[in-house]
Amino acid sequence: MDPSEVEFLAEKELVKIIPNFSLDKIFLIGGDLGPFNPGLSVDVPLWLALNLKQRQKCRILPPDWMDVEKLEEMRALERKEDAFTPVPSLYYMEITKLLLNHASDNIPKADEIRTLVKDIWDTRIAKLRLSADSFINQQEAHAQLDNLTLMEINTTREFLLDSLNFMFKLRSNLQPGSSKGQLTDY
Amino acid sequence: MSTQSYFPVPPGVGMEENFLSLDDILLSHERLPVRTECSFPRLGFLERSSDAHDIPEGTKMELPLWLSKGLYERKRKVLSVDLPKVYKEGWRTVFTADPCVVDLHKMGPYYYGLGSQILHFDSPENSDIAQALLQTFIGRFRRTMDSSQNAYNEDTSALVERLDSLEKALFR
Repeated sequence: MDPSEVEFLAEKELVKIIPNFSLDKIFLIGGDLGPFNPGLSVDVPLWLALNLKQRQKCRILPPDWMDVEKLEEMRALERKEDAFTPVPSLYYMEITKLLLNHASDNIPKADEIRTLVKDIWDTRIAKLRLSADSFINQQEAHAQLDNLTLMEINTTREFLLDSLNFMFKLRSNLQPGSSKGQLTDY
Repeated sequence: MSTQSYFPVPPGVGMEENFLSLDDILLSHERLPVRTECSFPRLGFLERSSDAHDIPEGTKMELPLWLSKGLYERKRKVLSVDLPKVYKEGWRTVFTADPCVVDLHKMGPYYYGLGSQILHFDSPENSDIAQALLQTFIGRFRRTMDSSQNAYNEDTSALVERLDSLEKALFR
């Protein structure tokens, strides 16, 4: 899976915006949106919010969890725990990146938030690497990891699966008496 | 995304080789030290070091894997295959000591593949070789994973050249 596919899935998340135009309720396949009144906040999917922002038709409000103190607490908790802690939003990395790239003027203390989210991400990825390494080293049969987001799983999915396939091949060498070199017909 | 119409055939599992896999075909060109158990009349041209017309019994020479596999018989009338240096006891202890340090590309770019094929030749050290292959891979896994998942701005070729061809495929 491509990171851009994960980002596409993340854009379905809802965010609050304050439009500066008015529009009646619109009926889309995915659900109903609106009505839009200038100055009143409304929940829309992220893809729409970004589009409106780029056309300067709205102001984006940062989600509740995107706050310096809350993120600092989360970072401290993540560093303390060995397991993965519950995450502010299933797509926290993508939402942060998109909002900070397109709407950083609407988000207070944008730089600090960027640093904090990156720290949380780095800590989680390091834990993931450690976990994958011990999984392979001890040749365990199965592992359970809670609270992982799709983007994190995506970074290691391909490599881990290929390595496990290869280990299976090497392990099949250990069984003697497997069929002695009859080439299969294609 | 695998939306391509060309699916390369991957190398075979364990001791099997896939007939159509390019990796396996290249792998089978590796040479193995071999001792002939019977004489090969009129095949002297195969052995470069002497100008004899025939190859007498008991000659030590090098044959590629595909030929050795074909000629090898359980009753061992034709050939007996020695292990290449890299799979012998001495090197195996090096691998168990620290797998990350070794330049697997220099040891023959198909270290794991060739090791799996050698198990065909019924050497007494077979199970040790198989274990050593597995442990080497596991030991090198961490280093390979870390270097493959970080985008280096500089040239990665210094890292990649120490990898076996199979690890290189993972590295992509």
